[in-house]
Amino acid sequence: MASPAGKWVNRVGKKPAESAEMRKGKAAIAGARSPARWPLIVGGVVIVGLLVAIVATLVVSANKEKPEPISTSGPMVVPTGATTGGALVSGKADAPVRLEVYLDYMCPYCGQFERANGEEIARLVGAGTVRLETYPLAFLDEASSGTQYSTRAANAAATVSDRAADKFIAFNNSLFAHQPAEGGEGLTDDAIASLARDAGVPAEVTDAFGDRTFVPWVADSTKKAFAGGLQGTPTVKIDGVQFTGDLYKAGPLTEAINQAAK
Amino acid sequence: MSAPLGALRRLRHANAWIFGTMLFSACLSLIASLVLSIDAVRLAENPRLALSCNINTVINCGTVALSWQAQLFGFPNAFLGLMAEPVVITIAVASLGGTRFPRWFMCAAQVVYTLGVIFAYWLFYQSFFNIGALCPWCLLITVSTTLVFATLTHVNIRDDNLYLPRRVQAPLARWIAADLDVIVVTIWLLALILAVVTRYGDRLVS
Repeated sequence: MASPAGKWVNRVGKKPAESAEMRKGKAAIAGARSPARWPLIVGGVVIVGLLVAIVATLVVSANKEKPEPISTSGPMVVPTGATTGGALVSGKADAPVRLEVYLDYMCPYCGQFERANGEEIARLVGAGTVRLETYPLAFLDEASSGTQYSTRAANAAATVSDRAADKFIAFNNSLFAHQPAEGGEGLTDDAIASLARDAGVPAEVTDAFGDRTFVPWVADSTKKAFAGGLQGTPTVKIDGVQFTGDLYKAGPLTEAINQAAK
Repeated sequence: MSAPLGALRRLRHANAWIFGTMLFSACLSLIASLVLSIDAVRLAENPRLALSCNINTVINCGTVALSWQAQLFGFPNAFLGLMAEPVVITIAVASLGGTRFPRWFMCAAQVVYTLGVIFAYWLFYQSFFNIGALCPWCLLITVSTTLVFATLTHVNIRDDNLYLPRRVQAPLARWIAADLDVIVVTIWLLALILAVVTRYGDRLVS
């Protein structure tokens, strides 16, 4: 009997005592009668919307224009004055101390090292105490969202060393002073060129960054450095011996260099 | 309501399902914590390795592990997971075996684990917005911690373990019975996934 009156009675009339278990079970099954039906529908819609958004985001990022990988083949052009080991050289040839620095422009610890010691190194090179051999490596290309910042920055450094060698250290320090976050997009070619111009590199040299002239050389010296037993960056050597002091504050390295210069 | 769906919904409120899910998620959390703890110990043993970009670096140079956020209490955060997750695993296994813990015990577990979840999401927030490096094991911890929290809350509201006033406990129990918690947790996890693919999609698909 489903008369309106009967229903009314059912609603207000006290039901026989139910066990808590029974009520729980009934409530769980009786979704259709439960007043909490609309949240299920709204929730379902939100879930579908989120799934669509996730798939769409993945599809969009899969189809995003990826920069062409920079070719490392092609004729090997060695920057003027570079060592056979693959280092760019700054400073007087007869300086008493040979300082070797292995770095990747994307490596955050190289940034810490250079921001702590870059000025001191520039001063010691200028004073004729140090002959600096910089290995601009490119092994962290993966960490710049496909823009291969390590390779592009190392090529720019090699270009500056080749054609405006006296500006190399200033440019190197500026790249680290404005180091992009690891895992980001890196600096654009324009941003790199602008840092170089600010460091005093002539425009005709920065215009040559886009030619990627030294990319094969960078790839080759990266390979050589790691084949030679290099573990990671920054690695710093004084007269061929690895410096094991604190790389991340100014002072210890300078002291070791002064010691070696005696 | 079709019969299989009804059966599924009944199953969802059964101890076997709740504590099974809790056990599984807590094991995932424990594994991830172990991996991160081993990494942290290795980094501490060899600061030279810690403070350099290694040739084997793929996703990042360990900037997550070396951030101050990674050692908020002076030791690697992952150690907290090594301490807490075995307790959750014990609760889950004992409950699967039929043990009923006292109300105060389950309530205390809820309070402590809630703090853990808050900490896990603070870390997620930090790595997402301030550190910026992708850490797959940390993400696994975020997800599995959420699942443990969801199952623990589910069982504690179902069994009225939280000493909540009637007018709070009753609607909560109704929502749980109506499976709204599944909806909320699903939306929450999907939103998390959306945030991650939005931020790191380029690196995940390439």
